[in-house]
Amino acid sequence: MKHLIPDFEKMKERFPAGFESSLVLPCLHRIQADRGFVADEDIDGLVAYLGVPRVQVEEVLSYYTMLRREGIGRTHLQVCRNIACSMRGAEGVIEHACKRLGVKPGETTADGQFTLSTVECLGSCGTAPVMMVNDAYHENMTLAELDRLIEELRQP
Amino acid sequence: MPRLTIDGREIEAKAGQTVMEAAREHGIFIPYFCWHPQLSVPGNCRICVVGVDDKGGEWVDIACNMPVSEGMVVHTNSEKVRARRKATMQFITLNHPVDCGICDKAGECTLQDYHYEYNGERSVSVDAKVHATKHHDLSERIVLDNERCIQCTRCVRFTREVSKSNGLGMISRADHSLVRAAEDGSFGRDPYSDNVIDICPVGALLSRSFLHKARVWYLKPTASVCPGCSRGCTVNLWHRRPEWRLKAPGMRTANESIDRVTPLENPAVNGPWICNKGRDLAALLGRARAEVAMLKGRPAELQGAIARARALVASARRPVAVVSSWASNEELAAFKASLGARFATFVKADCQPEPGEVVEDALLIRADKNPNTAGARALFGDAPLAIPPDADLVLVWGEGLDFGLIPPGAAIIHLNAWLAPENGHADVFFPVSIQTERDGHYTNFAGVTSAFAKCFPKAAGVADAAALFPALAGAGGGE
Repeated sequence: MKHLIPDFEKMKERFPAGFESSLVLPCLHRIQADRGFVADEDIDGLVAYLGVPRVQVEEVLSYYTMLRREGIGRTHLQVCRNIACSMRGAEGVIEHACKRLGVKPGETTADGQFTLSTVECLGSCGTAPVMMVNDAYHENMTLAELDRLIEELRQP
Repeated sequence: MPRLTIDGREIEAKAGQTVMEAAREHGIFIPYFCWHPQLSVPGNCRICVVGVDDKGGEWVDIACNMPVSEGMVVHTNSEKVRARRKATMQFITLNHPVDCGICDKAGECTLQDYHYEYNGERSVSVDAKVHATKHHDLSERIVLDNERCIQCTRCVRFTREVSKSNGLGMISRADHSLVRAAEDGSFGRDPYSDNVIDICPVGALLSRSFLHKARVWYLKPTASVCPGCSRGCTVNLWHRRPEWRLKAPGMRTANESIDRVTPLENPAVNGPWICNKGRDLAALLGRARAEVAMLKGRPAELQGAIARARALVASARRPVAVVSSWASNEELAAFKASLGARFATFVKADCQPEPGEVVEDALLIRADKNPNTAGARALFGDAPLAIPPDADLVLVWGEGLDFGLIPPGAAIIHLNAWLAPENGHADVFFPVSIQTERDGHYTNFAGVTSAFAKCFPKAAGVADAAALFPALAGAGGGE
């Protein structure tokens, strides 16, 4: 984590002094972008760097589904399961993805290619159901589009 | 075989059966209290009313005493039946104490079940409950029931804003949120942690030492002052109400012990808080007591000990007194009035910080572990303790004095509430009362005086220091 401190210092400039706890979230994002997840040693390092109580880092980590404590597959499929997406077919999308990939939400395929997650609102209710493929939004998802995406992403 | 209809279901009953028996045999539930399959039918509770269709409309009567008949049409839940059942429930519960919270039957009580079903309103909640951890050890002192927690975050904010341990947090989100202790163990080290038990508005955070000990309404609070340090926090000592005394053999101790300690809010001293040491006063004050007077280590009658001590006081040429910083202002004043002119007097610290104890902090905890150093010094000055080598009588009041400091030839009169090896080394030893056995006042480090009140009677052989000193001075009351 120490090699990220120059990045943290740049982020710090955007906050008034005394707002170290506001840096917890952007710093965790940066750590996850670097390592793929947040390890125990990252929490220790961040607590030491920011001087915030450890429990505040634990709270942020447990609150957001987007923050991970373990590594995932090369492609991360995140399907929203909140109300707008559910009403427009997200449950079918999740069920279909499970069947196609042979995993349950939260699991990774044996070849390490896909991790399937269900997540809270992605803020795109107008184009529900929504699925994220890594950082990209795929809106108005259909089962056919899901099949097409999985085939495309399976290409080596 | 008579055929009848119950709630629209046609059943075939046996001849001679009652509606109650026929319904039960076919899995149709009709509530009952007084009826029992192995007992007679008294028909006194009336809760099993059912409706029967008739030419003149629906009539109602009790199912337990109603023979089945061919073609009868029975309703167990018609509007008329519901109204009658509700009225019956109201009648049955007319004089009920509603003490379900302390009743052993609660949870398997028919009256309780029927009340929810037929007398009160049913819950409007339709969703399955989210189950959360129960009996979660938040620390060695505090147990958490997450299903009772309403996530108000009072406890979390207490550790951030008051005790500043940052020991607690809300983990996860929405209906899966949980209060949890930080992984670095800071909550277990928070010397003020037990305050979260008081400020928890529900039964989520509970004291392990008080868990299942007593219902609070069997206890009464007596205002007192924590003797744990010179802050002198005002506290409530909770003990068994006299009218709820436990009468089983061997219960004297339970009736005369401190069941719990809570803060007694006091803006001038401690606000609404106390530290965990104050919560543990039962242990501090419950140490093994000295209850018998002694002459050179041999048990003696109190009056004989008083006579011997009075003779020592009368004949001493250079008497010195080391008074207790755990004594009340009243006791110290009694000493000053009776013996103050006769004795050269020093104030001693009875107690020192224990290993592992927080010695001092910015919130409440003071380094002086005695409640009334200020009160004693106000009367006897703050000269450092130095017993002159020519002292021929030393009166030692309270614990904490190294007897090695007493000149070898000097006679010793010792007053102590607790059992200690030094007690037997004194020429005269008096067991004395503790603060839960008398009224009094302490003056804290900042000069604020607070009152404590008697909770329990003292044992027969134990003396009150305030009455003892006039007797030692020969001013009456000795015999």
